[in-house]
Amino acid sequence: MDPSLTEISEKGCFVALTYDHLHIQDIMDRVRSPQAGAIVLFAGTTRDNFGGKPVKELQYSAYAPLALKTMLSLCKDIMARHGLKGIAMIHRLGTVPIGEESILIAVSAPHRQAAWKAGEEALEDCKKHVEVWKREEFEGEEGVWRANRDGIPGQKINQTDATH
Amino acid sequence: MGGAIPKPPKDHFNVLYFASASSFTAKEYDVLPAPLPISKLFDALEEKHNGIKDKVLSSCLVTVNLNYVDVPNKDGEDASESDVVIKAGDEVAIIPPVSSG
Repeated sequence: MDPSLTEISEKGCFVALTYDHLHIQDIMDRVRSPQAGAIVLFAGTTRDNFGGKPVKELQYSAYAPLALKTMLSLCKDIMARHGLKGIAMIHRLGTVPIGEESILIAVSAPHRQAAWKAGEEALEDCKKHVEVWKREEFEGEEGVWRANRDGIPGQKINQTDATH
Repeated sequence: MGGAIPKPPKDHFNVLYFASASSFTAKEYDVLPAPLPISKLFDALEEKHNGIKDKVLSSCLVTVNLNYVDVPNKDGEDASESDVVIKAGDEVAIIPPVSSG
């Protein structure tokens, strides 16, 4: 796959989409800096249930060029607001088995307080805006496209409703 | 990512579908004739996919060439002068509520 379609690197910001496993060391090394006293790393992992209902696996899809554009824009904004030395965000696409990482975010800052805050904000902004979609596959029934307005059930679309 | 979407034929544009929009239409994209005011987009899609307006589009946003645009007719308002016109070759996308993370 052409890397120019799946990652953007710009002035301390790195954003990427991949169908491969995510590597914690790689994403931490993207933000490592001699001026940083702290790196905060967030790993989002796929949960085995939705409100108690067993989930078999998750499928992620993306509008890749727009998702990368949005990721870069929100990372640059967070970097400026918290005086970060680096920020990196990578999201996995395709089938992600239960218990594996679906997203990694790493931020580095001179001091830990800014890094903690920036890391949390980066995840919240990502979940709110980045054009990636999660489908939960259940045992023995149809999958559901989830929406990140947390807690409310996703939108169930029955194939037989469609006219084509 | 995924299958590459072919360029639209002359005087047409592509509409890309993701997540619930793709499940509903059972397609990754449609090809529509240009030009088309953005206020007419949802009606044009409803003609192709009966029920899509209520079940899917009402909760979706729209981008043209990777920029979000207002869809004036969405809530029954009249199309205003600020109505964007979709041109031949534009890439339009239907963006359902996102769920990354």
